[in-house]
Amino acid sequence: MLLTLAWKNIWRNKKRSLIILTAIALGLWAGLFSVAISIGVWEATINSTIDRNLSHIQIHTKEFKDEKLISNYIPDGNTIADDIRKDKRIKEVSGRVLIEGMASSPTSSSGVNIIGINPENEKEVTSISSYIEEGKFFETEKRNPALIGKKLADKLGLKLGSKIVLTFQNIDTTLNYAAFRITGIFKTESTNFDQSHLFVKNTDLYKTMESEPIISEIAIRLNSSDDLNFVYSKLQLDYSSLKVETWKQLAPELEFTYEMLILELEIFLGIILAALLFGITNTMLMSVMDRIREFGVLMAVGMKRVRVFFLILIETFVLSIFGGIVGMLLGGITIWYLSDKGIDLSIFAEGLNAYGMPTQMYPVLPLYFYFVLILMIIITAIIAAIYPSIKTIKLMPAKAIRTY
Amino acid sequence: MKTYLLLAWRNLWRNKRRTLIAAASVFFAVLLALLMRSMQEGSYDYMIEASVSMYTGYIQIHRDEYWEKRSIDKSMEVGDKIVKEIEAIENVTLVTPRLESFSLISFGNTTKVASIIGIEPGQENRMTKLKNKLIKGKYLTPDSKGILLSEGLAELLKVDIGDSIVLYGQGYHGVTAADRIPIEGIVKFTLPELNKSMAYLSMNYSQWLYSAPERITTLSVMINHIDNLQEVYEKVDDLFDDKYEVMTWSEMMPELVQGIEIDNAGGIIMLGILYVIIGFGIFGTVMMMTAERTKEFGILISIGLKKGKLAFISFLESIFLAFIGVAAGVLVSIPVLYYFHQNPIELTGQMADMALSYGLDPILPFRFAPNIFVDQFLTVFVIGLVSVSYPLFFIRKLKPVEAMRK
Amino acid sequence: MNYINNKVISEKMKKILSLVTIITGLTSSLIAQDAKEIIAKSDELIKSKSSYAEFSMEIIKTDWTRSFGMKSWSLEPDYAIIYVTEPARDKGTVTLKRKKEVWNWIPAAQRVIKIPPSMMLQSWMGSDFTNDDLVKESSVVNDYSHSVVNEETFDGYECYVIESIPKEEAGVVWGKLLTWISKEYYFQMKVEFYDEDEFLVKTYVGTDIKEMDGRSFPTHWEMLPEDRPGEKTTFTYLKIQFNYRVNESFFSEQNMKRIR
Repeated sequence: MLLTLAWKNIWRNKKRSLIILTAIALGLWAGLFSVAISIGVWEATINSTIDRNLSHIQIHTKEFKDEKLISNYIPDGNTIADDIRKDKRIKEVSGRVLIEGMASSPTSSSGVNIIGINPENEKEVTSISSYIEEGKFFETEKRNPALIGKKLADKLGLKLGSKIVLTFQNIDTTLNYAAFRITGIFKTESTNFDQSHLFVKNTDLYKTMESEPIISEIAIRLNSSDDLNFVYSKLQLDYSSLKVETWKQLAPELEFTYEMLILELEIFLGIILAALLFGITNTMLMSVMDRIREFGVLMAVGMKRVRVFFLILIETFVLSIFGGIVGMLLGGITIWYLSDKGIDLSIFAEGLNAYGMPTQMYPVLPLYFYFVLILMIIITAIIAAIYPSIKTIKLMPAKAIRTY
Repeated sequence: MKTYLLLAWRNLWRNKRRTLIAAASVFFAVLLALLMRSMQEGSYDYMIEASVSMYTGYIQIHRDEYWEKRSIDKSMEVGDKIVKEIEAIENVTLVTPRLESFSLISFGNTTKVASIIGIEPGQENRMTKLKNKLIKGKYLTPDSKGILLSEGLAELLKVDIGDSIVLYGQGYHGVTAADRIPIEGIVKFTLPELNKSMAYLSMNYSQWLYSAPERITTLSVMINHIDNLQEVYEKVDDLFDDKYEVMTWSEMMPELVQGIEIDNAGGIIMLGILYVIIGFGIFGTVMMMTAERTKEFGILISIGLKKGKLAFISFLESIFLAFIGVAAGVLVSIPVLYYFHQNPIELTGQMADMALSYGLDPILPFRFAPNIFVDQFLTVFVIGLVSVSYPLFFIRKLKPVEAMRK
Repeated sequence: MNYINNKVISEKMKKILSLVTIITGLTSSLIAQDAKEIIAKSDELIKSKSSYAEFSMEIIKTDWTRSFGMKSWSLEPDYAIIYVTEPARDKGTVTLKRKKEVWNWIPAAQRVIKIPPSMMLQSWMGSDFTNDDLVKESSVVNDYSHSVVNEETFDGYECYVIESIPKEEAGVVWGKLLTWISKEYYFQMKVEFYDEDEFLVKTYVGTDIKEMDGRSFPTHWEMLPEDRPGEKTTFTYLKIQFNYRVNESFFSEQNMKRIR
């Protein structure tokens, strides 16, 4: 019965109620939306890093983590890679040869990470092939093809088709010099990455080094990121002599900034709700003050104070929740719609690229936030209701009736 | 005019409750906006401070083209006189010289390329807290003939305190720099790239080693607060002619600038959203109040008060209201922000660990500076005034006879 | 009458022309075949299987100049030791090349340091030569395909101008080299280094032809970088002994310390 009364009361002053409802709805919508964008951007950044190079899990020898020498390769690496591939959860496995060396042109030289890959496997594990701006991803007849980053090409003064000489240490520490041809140029969101990494066919490296097919790194892509922890634990057990790491361990700074981001966003939502809280309290106060006479009458006629208290509480509650639901619906729908289409931010391309961030943004809102928000709204509603409710029940009915 | 003002003021206080409620919405708006902005700006200042203290300093002075070419041949001679002149500039807290170079460091069969920095140990420590990073051995003294290695580098070379490494490189004007140097201490950096490549020598010794007597490659300047940067920069720039380059941290670390800009853009958007919500709150409150006074307005107009004059009085009321709210908000915020500025909120748990591993204090910093207050004061005040438009609009449309019947 | 004469003459002309063409063709293909030989011969001129030399090196930069006195022993193509005799500060510094690797002996530190791959492209002793240049020299003959493209007089000597294009597998950065070699004496007078876009990157010029140990060749060499006019590195041979008696074991880390 109180509920019906509360509801009716709310709509008695349409204008006022609508104003506060709109405020709540819009406030929440805006809040949710900005949170979704921020998280969306973040997820995109992380995903592109995982796709581009990290992949879900990587395996190296423990010695390799200390010193990235070619001599610290994974013993029986290819056999291990094949074994891992058999697991259904795993989409593909790519074995890579990693060598730190120098790349030089007639005019300049630069330190690089040389990554020897099997193009077929690599395509399924990372997305580097999709970043190619010029040339191809190793579909070529040319001898010793190389795929380098745009930044590196610029630095060395080279272009598609140019010769690039790679200098690196062999397993027995002798120096190798080999000429490669630039058959592809890629550009990722990270100019740092572009300058310091280049790809060649692992078979070409074996030929130059006159060595057996060895691999320094096993990169694993899962079918679903939900399996991450499970596969990780399993691999750790199976290969305890090697170092198995997830992308979170490989790039801890990503995790850190994510946590900070979530914290910032929660505070932001809190502040929005605090702002709304005052609005709600204000509104309810006015609503209550308007009806002092009425409450006076009610209480004089016998309505218990407690019930009046609850009446106000419910009114506030309903108002807030109603506005909250509308806000969340609005937010949810916008986010759902835009998560498909995305928002274009290419005006900020340069700044975003330096941070490895993409220019196309897709809002993402983890379910967790909706729950947090509902909780926050409920708490806000309750707090907002307290002052007006208390004010009401403190009324002296007789005096109240006599008020304007 | 005086009548109007008095009238407006009295009107406000006729209905204390209503006025206080309206002012309160403005008050809280200001408080929240201030808190949020203070936190945002605080974190930028903090990031900048942390980054510049790590290595570059706020301002650096070099020989022209040094930043691009990084060759010891582009070193400079800077006398004590000029250093004292820089130190004398207001807001400068520290001036630190360095002689930087890349050379080979070798031990046994291992040779690595390292960044060799000649430092004035005391000043360097005051700027970058290098001494705190010492994990083994002793810190350098101005007369040290030993070397400080970063932990990662020591591990790669498999050396320890007491071992001597060989340094080999190119000194000033092509003279070979080579010597056998005992390791005096090991320092640890949280960033792995730094941890694997840094080595420090005392300035005197490195100048001798690189055949660069009285020469340095950079002079780093620290100031007390980033707000004073532009002023100090100009004064420093005046002291040097165009044979030298004077750079600020933003020129030396453009990625940090971009990172902050992106963050700032996001922050302003969030603040904007906050304003919209606040605006709604204030607008709504004013709307309700105006509606309450329908009868009152109706009567006033029908007894002869011109609508224009009534509108003007309303306008004055709103200004007072906004002013009261904002002023109260600012006054209350001052001690609150100051408190948080001096006692920042501590981060806990995983967040704290991560911050520490980056060499940052695990705190949420707040910025306490006039610009924040002025900015928010003005903005919220303006928002408050915008909501004036409703009463004016309302009064215009008012039909007195109907109004009196409400 | 005239008509018949003209026809006969033009017939004859044609025959002569074709004969000349054939002869010229033969000659030029002979010359083309020899381009590699010419280069090889030229290469051998100042390198015998083994040699000993004394020379000075001067580094000229916009701000400063430095001079070194040096001695070198070499066993082509893989081994060489260079010992610095002057100035006093650098005296005793030794550079050892074994195949593709370089070591330095530093007297001030009493240590041998192997130059890591990342430093191979850094300058050697501050000059315009890199450590890499020291080890790459001797591969020119086999790593490139050579052909004679011109004949020119340079510095008073008639020279073949030979164009050398690196073979596909060669680990060299150049797009092409142009070498001026004296027809009569086979010494190299000038080498121009081009990138693959035919931009000149550096020039190596030899002058001051003198006779040493029975051979004549340019004794003063200058390396001129194209992008830094006014700067150069110069070499002046003071003495050379060809077929100097030395074997592989001489070129060792231990010997670096003992050399005088």
